[in-house]
Amino acid sequence: MRSSSQDLLSIQPGWVVGLVGRPGHGLTRLGLSMLAPTARRALVAAVDVRGWLSPLAAWENGIEPEQLVMVRCPDRHQWLGVAAALLEGLPAIYAEVPTGIRDQDLRRLASLARACQARLVLRPLNGDLPDGVTHLRLQATYSTWGGVERGHGRLVNRRMELEASGKGAAGMVRRLIVEDDGSSLRVEEGNDGADSLRMVSRLAPVSGGSAIG
Amino acid sequence: MVGEPEAGISRVVAADGLARAAGVEVGMPRREAENLCPTAMVARRDLGEEARRFEPVVEAVEGVIPRVEVAEPGLLFVPAAGAVRYFGGEEPLVERIEKELATLHAGARLGLADGPFAARCAAEQAIEYPLIVTDTVSFLSQLDLAMLQLGGARSPAPFGREELVATFRWLGLTTLGDLARLPREALASRFGEVGLETHRLASGEDRTPQPRIIPPELAVADRYEDPLLSLDQVGFAARKLAARLIAGLRTEGIAPHRVSIEAESGDGTVRVRVWRSNDPFTETGLTDRVWWQLRAWLEANSRRTEGQGGGITGGIVRLRLDPADLSGEGRQLTLLEDVAAQVEAERALWRTHALLGPDAVVVGTRQGGRLPGEQVHWRRFGEEATAPERDPVAPWPGATPSPSPALVPPELVPFEVEWEDGSPVRVRLSSRWEPVINWSGPWRLMGAWWKGEPAADRYQIVTSAGAFLVLVREGRTFLAGVYD
Repeated sequence: MRSSSQDLLSIQPGWVVGLVGRPGHGLTRLGLSMLAPTARRALVAAVDVRGWLSPLAAWENGIEPEQLVMVRCPDRHQWLGVAAALLEGLPAIYAEVPTGIRDQDLRRLASLARACQARLVLRPLNGDLPDGVTHLRLQATYSTWGGVERGHGRLVNRRMELEASGKGAAGMVRRLIVEDDGSSLRVEEGNDGADSLRMVSRLAPVSGGSAIG
Repeated sequence: MVGEPEAGISRVVAADGLARAAGVEVGMPRREAENLCPTAMVARRDLGEEARRFEPVVEAVEGVIPRVEVAEPGLLFVPAAGAVRYFGGEEPLVERIEKELATLHAGARLGLADGPFAARCAAEQAIEYPLIVTDTVSFLSQLDLAMLQLGGARSPAPFGREELVATFRWLGLTTLGDLARLPREALASRFGEVGLETHRLASGEDRTPQPRIIPPELAVADRYEDPLLSLDQVGFAARKLAARLIAGLRTEGIAPHRVSIEAESGDGTVRVRVWRSNDPFTETGLTDRVWWQLRAWLEANSRRTEGQGGGITGGIVRLRLDPADLSGEGRQLTLLEDVAAQVEAERALWRTHALLGPDAVVVGTRQGGRLPGEQVHWRRFGEEATAPERDPVAPWPGATPSPSPALVPPELVPFEVEWEDGSPVRVRLSSRWEPVINWSGPWRLMGAWWKGEPAADRYQIVTSAGAFLVLVREGRTFLAGVYD
């Protein structure tokens, strides 16, 4: 079943979403905004590995300050235990993933999220996530900002391009455009075109695109 | 002998000398009390009447220290620090209050200590003479665990006060000192927020919360063209106003622990009284207190004008309720939430708290400031919010506008930028240089010059690798945020 673009950013209970890409494209803001629907009725948490995570972006996307708990975990040896403890009680968590977490530990964590029916958003600080962890993988490929012009104006809105893959993308690799105006996100499907390497059926032979299963 | 039902059992809440001589004690089940004293007359408790009778005591204390807060009929708190300085010491202050109360034959118990809980415990112990506590921790440590049932210890599901004390006893604890000697993290992990709170109380850390900035629009008020003259009219008005206040705060997800009740009479006199509660005020609880207070003022005035006709002079023409000491703990769970889920979430956070320490699990609230790092006021999870350092409601001209960067370094980080004729041309990210696609700025930031802080210029710099908030101060460039 093909899901709608906006639905792609709505995480189901038990799902794990991976946000992959270098800092600067808006993945942190996107990840925090994914907690917003759950935060309307329950406490949610964000695991901050570097000590840089700011709640301002979450608040601007509609999360009430009292509903968001920040958990500072710079020690990667404690990261897995902390993430697991949070999954056992909270319905939605955003977690930066430090370097050095083993693939099998991430898979165990994903299993725990499914068992607890919690929504888990993982943001690896370096590299990617292993197979078998995420239901939906969103990779930032490009972003631009509007509002500034050679010294004038200010940052107003961002346009982010994502590559979506996994079961959550209906088994296909899809291109999404996310428009962020500072208070809400709007998602559109990328246009089909010559450079749409993305629209590849999971059952078709691959030519120039990515096959996922 | 006065009784009140509690959990289906009528218990004694007050007894005169004859009943006490027969062995009747406060808290005793009614049947047991009647067996001990068969001729005792049992009256049902009337809190409104108690509030009325307590009003002269409140006024007498208010005459010595203006800022009185009534917790319930028969119990009031006053912040004494300023009065101690004014009267030249704790003993002169206590003697002065005793002198004011002596004329009322109130039989009051006075306790003076650091914090409301310790003061309450001191008052309970002050059977014959006022008790001034000089070493709060030492005083509390020798007290029985039953003191936790007095106040300060809340009773959220699933633990009631009695059940919590019983659990502590089953664990081998007997005194508040035993409780205070336990590791706080362990108590928090096992019992959640109520465990943390009782540990604080036992440790003498019952702090009066710092006042929050309360937006004035949270207060409710009504003016009456026809002054309210009868008790029925006043009761109806009290119920309506209390309901409006609680309902309005509920939509914000907050509840008050203190409410200031203000009434203006027809002759222009304004009376104000603050009521406080350990647990957030419910609509019923607040309605009762507003009603008790207004009735007490009405009847106090009618005593003064006895012989000239009853009723408050000119009736009540205006009523106002101001909430204070707000918390989210009284938040009404909606149909979409359930208590069990809330408890599970808090338990998970307390387990995390035990793993990482109290400074690692934090909640932010808005505060004023011009840079993103200044606009968040942090507190530990489970602790009451304190007033932010900078008023979030006040205008902050020059504040960095939204959208805010999602990544903000805890301190400014040196950042390499190449400039050409005052414009940024490329930035260094790790080992590579990224060309600047566009930028805005400079926006001048006047530093706290009175503290010696230099002025700075802010820029928003856009590259193909992302956008950055940059600060230039005294010729050096720093990273203030990443728009990730």
